[in-house]
Amino acid sequence: MSNNLTTIMESSRLAGRSYVDAMIRSELTDAVGADYVSSNAADQLGHSIDYYWIPEMWHDRGRENPKAQYIVHPGSAEEVAKVLRIANNYRIPVTPWGGGSGSQGGALPMYGGIILDTKRMNKVINIDTEALTVTVETGMNAQHMEWAVEKKGFSTMHFPASIACATIGGFLAHRGTGVLSTKYGKIEDMVMSIEVVTPEGEIINTLPVPRHASGPDLTQLYLGSEGTLGVITKVTLKIHPIPQCRKFHAFLFKDMHQAMTAGANIMRSRLRPCVIRLYDEPETARLIKRVLGLDKQGAYLVFGFDGFESVVNLEMAEAIRICQRENPEDLGEEMGQAWWDHRYKFFYPPYMFHMPQAFGTLDTVATFANIEKVYWAMKNVVNQNFPEAAFIGHYSHWYEWGCMLYARFIVENPPRDPEEATAYYNRIWDMAIRAAIANGGVINEHHGVGLKLGRLMKDLYGPAFKVLADIKKVMDPNNIMNPGKMGFRGV
Amino acid sequence: MYSEKFTETIHACRFCFMCRHLSPVGNVTYRESDTPRGRALMLDKVLQQPQLLENPDFQSTIYDAELSAACRTHCVSHFDEAGLLLAARRDIVESEKVPASIRQVADSIKALPLTVKGEAKAELIYYVDRYTERHQPEIAVAMEKILKSAGIRFQMISGADTGKALSVLGYWNDAKEAATNFARMARSGEQKLVITSCPASYDSLKNDFPKYGIDLGKELEVLHTSEFLQRLVRTSQLPLGPLAIQSVFPLASDFLKNYNAGFKAHEELATLAGVTLLPFGFNREESYTAGEGGVVMDELNPRLVSKLVQHVFEQIDNPEQDTLLVLSPYTKYVLTKFAPKKIQLTTVEELIAARIKE
Ligand SMILES: Cc1cc2nc3c(=O)[nH]c(=O)nc-3n(C[C@H](O)[C@H](O)[C@H](O)COP(=O)(O)OP(=O)(O)OC[C@H]3O[C@@H](n4cnc5c(N)ncnc54)[C@H](O)[C@@H]3O)c2cc1C
Ligand code: SF4
Repeated sequence: MSNNLTTIMESSRLAGRSYVDAMIRSELTDAVGADYVSSNAADQLGHSIDYYWIPEMWHDRGRENPKAQYIVHPGSAEEVAKVLRIANNYRIPVTPWGGGSGSQGGALPMYGGIILDTKRMNKVINIDTEALTVTVETGMNAQHMEWAVEKKGFSTMHFPASIACATIGGFLAHRGTGVLSTKYGKIEDMVMSIEVVTPEGEIINTLPVPRHASGPDLTQLYLGSEGTLGVITKVTLKIHPIPQCRKFHAFLFKDMHQAMTAGANIMRSRLRPCVIRLYDEPETARLIKRVLGLDKQGAYLVFGFDGFESVVNLEMAEAIRICQRENPEDLGEEMGQAWWDHRYKFFYPPYMFHMPQAFGTLDTVATFANIEKVYWAMKNVVNQNFPEAAFIGHYSHWYEWGCMLYARFIVENPPRDPEEATAYYNRIWDMAIRAAIANGGVINEHHGVGLKLGRLMKDLYGPAFKVLADIKKVMDPNNIMNPGKMGFRGV
Repeated sequence: MYSEKFTETIHACRFCFMCRHLSPVGNVTYRESDTPRGRALMLDKVLQQPQLLENPDFQSTIYDAELSAACRTHCVSHFDEAGLLLAARRDIVESEKVPASIRQVADSIKALPLTVKGEAKAELIYYVDRYTERHQPEIAVAMEKILKSAGIRFQMISGADTGKALSVLGYWNDAKEAATNFARMARSGEQKLVITSCPASYDSLKNDFPKYGIDLGKELEVLHTSEFLQRLVRTSQLPLGPLAIQSVFPLASDFLKNYNAGFKAHEELATLAGVTLLPFGFNREESYTAGEGGVVMDELNPRLVSKLVQHVFEQIDNPEQDTLLVLSPYTKYVLTKFAPKKIQLTTVEELIAARIKE
């Protein structure tokens, strides 16, 4: 935003609503309709806090979070384009907002301006039962999309814990993932093509198929761009037949290393489980006990297969054989099925961590050779520097070459003072993430970067970060799209 | 403040996104503040700064809530966001900061007298709610036909509110007075049963009256008409003719489903009557009542109700052919009034009355 306009908008904000607000509001109203532009105090509050701990804590301590001046709900790509053109004209920052369930502060209007809430773009456009794809507008709630697809006898197989919380656009923007990713892929594996409104208000489509040799993959450039390169307005995703059966099996291993050996061996065998989840000893003792009632020492591992029953039975028998090589305690099908049935329960209050606790999900991914090193490096750095913090973790999303670590730190009584709490919280993140990077991990596997981890992008990418920053500069010359996020330049 | 009693709910919901997909108002306004999280956040702010309860934006958000309680049913811990909003409304009313538009609706409800028709020595009371009386009289006509055909002597009470609308608007003391009046009138005869087609009134008689210290249950059994009809059909007290409609899509009632867990009488009635119930919409959790939980939402915010109706309308696969079984007179009224095209609607009373041999 130009300094001039910042000053004008700031002084108009201080003086109460002035004609500057009213003028811009008129233009936005013209673009999306009067019902869909708001400067309502309740809306501003609702859009000032996402799932990031800092704004939650800030609110809890009675502080005000930065708020958007306008919240707009465009109903189509054309309306998005109009809003972005207005924003470009006046150099107003625009922050796309889907469900606001992102944990990285990506959707926070840190410089005020416009929140572009996508939820009105919520239609299923087409379900192609030949190619098995669904085309939807990206403001659609992921659970609504899944229900709509299921009604036609298919499934997206995208089952994140936040399926009911988030929009499909949010998952695309953060490269999100669901519980069945080990077989069906992360969101970036599910996408056929997307429609994007560029920062300057042009509507573009990427190629209709995801595999080609027609230049670099534009679709993948936008996935994970977190609203900094434009607004994704439409997507075509793969869908799948509902499998004949889905079965689970659980084991309790002596320790995490043995369980990791078994999990990695399943993946190296090239069996295709739809899910593997392995909880370290502390998380087994804490969460698995609380939610599933398993009160035993060790590392809990569950896996599942789905598809034709005859095939599932064969795959299941092989996977069980692989696990048994490590001599675990067999918890059977029942304790596996119980985990599946309660898989979302972990995320509801009071099972989820909550104030006054400080907590964070240090999720990362690495090869099998590195992943345990990453775990121990993170755990040690947290334990040594923050002995008051608990560190727990599980491995959620598995690949042929490695897996994702979903580690968490929990501090029961962080500093009361919000500034101090912020500094304390950031120190934990900085140390833990740098430890992960030093051992072959990355900043994040599926929650994204946002405001929370932007400062660490240069650590992760090194000189390659300039390539990303240059792309941003070229594509968004006025820097209106979600400035200050992902390590990109702020206002 | 009454909302302080819900501090645990506020603290659970203020940062929780897990039931936002079931927020009927949020799903049509797209506003974050119209979700359980957004509302809890707002009321958390009010706990921090009580003067914010006077903020017109906060007040309109509090009164726009549809109170379907679908979130409470969905939530694994059943946090009571509907109860929280009712408490906030009561705080607004009792601090005398209530918006004029709300006061007008409340005043008009308070002014209604209770009227009684029929024999004092009747076996049961049929309470006719305002929506049936004013807008959907065919529901009461069908019920009268059924009662007469079964040879049951009945009395009809209508006119005033049982207290439900007033309590939902935050007028707890006036609601209690209305409930007391209703109880006095209902107890004056020899009836052993009160039935009503209105799930809001049913919930009021069953669950609110005890909170006012009125134990209607000791003297009078309370049934929703679907429960009563189920009994009649099960005990073969009604001579039923052939089916007029083979299958319907039921629109679950907020009050029956989410305020009276386990209510299944309409399903059992349909089975007994040989009517097939087909799943409506794309899930069984969402509220498709267009604001029934708000009791008088059409009077508070008709524009919003028309959006809720549009949303329900969009879920109908084949509007020309599909018949929706509506369990609430309010829902029947707003679907009739606001739908972009005519929808085929029926109620349990009309479904059964149509099968009575003349
Ligand atoms: C209880 C809970 C459980 C979770 N579990 C999972 C999980 O299992 N898997 C997982 O992947 N994540 C999970 N998350 C995190 C979160 O749901 C995801 O990050 C999700 O992708 C966010 O989507 P949203 O619609 O809420 O986006 P928001 O939070 O609104 O936005 C996230 C980012 O995307 C941008 N954005 C949003 N929409 C668009 C668009 N259409 N075009 C361009 N940019 C856009 C925003 O500007 C922001 O930077 C969980 C969150 C919660 C609250
Ligand atoms: S009712 Fe339950 S699921 Fe809904 S917001 Fe509150 S805690 Fe979350």
